Amino acid sequence: MDSVDGYLLLMNSLSSALRQGWLDLASARHSMGPSRVLSTLFDHKEQSAATKLQVVDHDGLKPSEPKPHFALSKWSLQEECHSTYDVSERAFTEPKMRHRGSVTTPENGNHESANTTASSTGADASNHVQRARSKALSVFGGLVSPKLRTAQLSFETALDLIVELANSRSNMLASFSQLKE
Amino acid sequence: MAGRANIPTNSSALIAIIADEDTVTGFLLAGVGNVDLRKKTNYLIVDNKTTVKQIEDAFKEFTTREDIAIVLISQYVANMIRFLVDGYNKPVPAILEIPSKDHPYDPAHDSVLSRVKYLFSAESVASDRR
Repeated sequence: MDSVDGYLLLMNSLSSALRQGWLDLASARHSMGPSRVLSTLFDHKEQSAATKLQVVDHDGLKPSEPKPHFALSKWSLQEECHSTYDVSERAFTEPKMRHRGSVTTPENGNHESANTTASSTGADASNHVQRARSKALSVFGGLVSPKLRTAQLSFETALDLIVELANSRSNMLASFSQLKE
Repeated sequence: MAGRANIPTNSSALIAIIADEDTVTGFLLAGVGNVDLRKKTNYLIVDNKTTVKQIEDAFKEFTTREDIAIVLISQYVANMIRFLVDGYNKPVPAILEIPSKDHPYDPAHDSVLSRVKYLFSAESVASDRR
């Protein structure tokens, strides 16, 4: 019953996020003109989705029960982050290993450079996301209403909730199968 | 293992959408739109000209594609193909019924919650008999 409550709470949050998104879309359509925010403008050339899912099979309560776990990868960011954060982690650990046991250790300098590396990878990720968002908006022209940007953010929030709902559904169905047996 | 449903680990699966124009537009803005080499998309826009057969075909296609992990379907559209949605029982792709602008979410019609409700009602009957 707790998982049903959780599912319904998530669905309530999703409804709110979607309502905000629809409202912002309607505002954008009003300010940009109805002919500028239409499904006929969608690009039908071959293109890969920028936001995808990762699915991992976690065994349910019994090995015979599949229990998939979903994770969101927005704007291909997770692939980018894995490569950049690995670099930043190495930057943190390597200076300490090199200078372990030495009397005078310029740790502050090394920490500063490691922090700069981490902040620059964070800035790179942020720039990447902004570029990806702008590319998605460009379907509707070069200059778009700020409301279209806020609609985009609302639907991104909705995607986060959808993934949580999918995981909640997966847990409920696994428990359902076990109880049925 | 005998009898175990096969869920391939997938590091780049898609979200499919069967919904009205505004809902599809919004999710495409969020980057989920995909068009493959054969010009097949991972979404279907449902309007007053869309037939039930088209919706059924899209649902069957999206639930059999290996590159799709979640299928979002507006609940009012799911109600048009309720027998198909309720009959679907695979863990992947996950089917999620979502509200639309003109039709708020109704838990009584959600296929997952209906199954759980049925389970609890069966359990209470079983415990009464004891």
